[in-house]
Amino acid sequence: MRADAQVLKGHLDTLLLASLEGGPRHGYAVKEALRAGSDARFDLPTGTIYPALRRLEAAGLVSGTWAEAGGRRRRMYELTPSGRRRLAGDRAAWRDFASAVTALLEPAR
Amino acid sequence: MSALIDDYLAGLRRRLPAPVAEEAAAGLLETYEHHLGTGAGDQEAARAAVAEFGDLEMVAGEFTRQAPGRHAARLLLATGPVAGSCWAAAMIGGHAWTWPVPDTARLVFAGVLLLAILALLVAATSRHSYQRTRLALLASPVLLSLDMTAITAALLAAPALTWTLRAAVAVSVGRIALNACTLPRLTTR
Repeated sequence: MRADAQVLKGHLDTLLLASLEGGPRHGYAVKEALRAGSDARFDLPTGTIYPALRRLEAAGLVSGTWAEAGGRRRRMYELTPSGRRRLAGDRAAWRDFASAVTALLEPAR
Repeated sequence: MSALIDDYLAGLRRRLPAPVAEEAAAGLLETYEHHLGTGAGDQEAARAAVAEFGDLEMVAGEFTRQAPGRHAARLLLATGPVAGSCWAAAMIGGHAWTWPVPDTARLVFAGVLLLAILALLVAATSRHSYQRTRLALLASPVLLSLDMTAITAALLAAPALTWTLRAAVAVSVGRIALNACTLPRLTTR
């Protein structure tokens, strides 16, 4: 199953934050992390990742800086302390939600 | 570099303001370099990068929908009904038509308010034009000035500080604070 941006709506921010948890990444690496981490289920058009990262940056959850690499400028993104707090909150909320849905869909027999 | 990439970059620069286009362009070039790194030829890498990056209109539209100006305009418009109701109640209750305010000043205030609301509506509903979302950058300080004018005029001209007038002033002060918080983000993006 491949999911598009519409299906991911509401979860994309958390997934983007999670992809930056290990350290700074540029946009394409974020996109690749989403694709690889989901066994290619979340393979979004690369161009839609950048507006979302920009929005997270405006919200203070991610900080973006330009870095020189291979003679070309790259925008690197990393989590801010607010971004880490939001990710922790989202992760806890997701665990609660997922365990409740699993309990309903797969009741113990 | 492939003409296909150049054309796409030119399209991004036509549709988006320079700092936004630069960010998107860096993303496309990363994608292009990724495909070159897999051993693809120039044309093949360019075609794969453009296909993977997404349709130009869709990408520009996504940047537009997530533009800070669009969100700020929506937020300010959402405060309109509350602020409008509070001021209407305060003015009707305080018989504002008897306040010593020149008719010209009332007309200018109403005209500027209408223009600010129209600009915010255009910014809030823009789906494909990033430039239109930047109308919020014009409307936001205008709305801030109108709130300050309304507060000053009411405090100077109203014969009594009724509770409805206090509520209207409080709502306008809140909107001034909201405006002051969002305005710096709009000027840098």
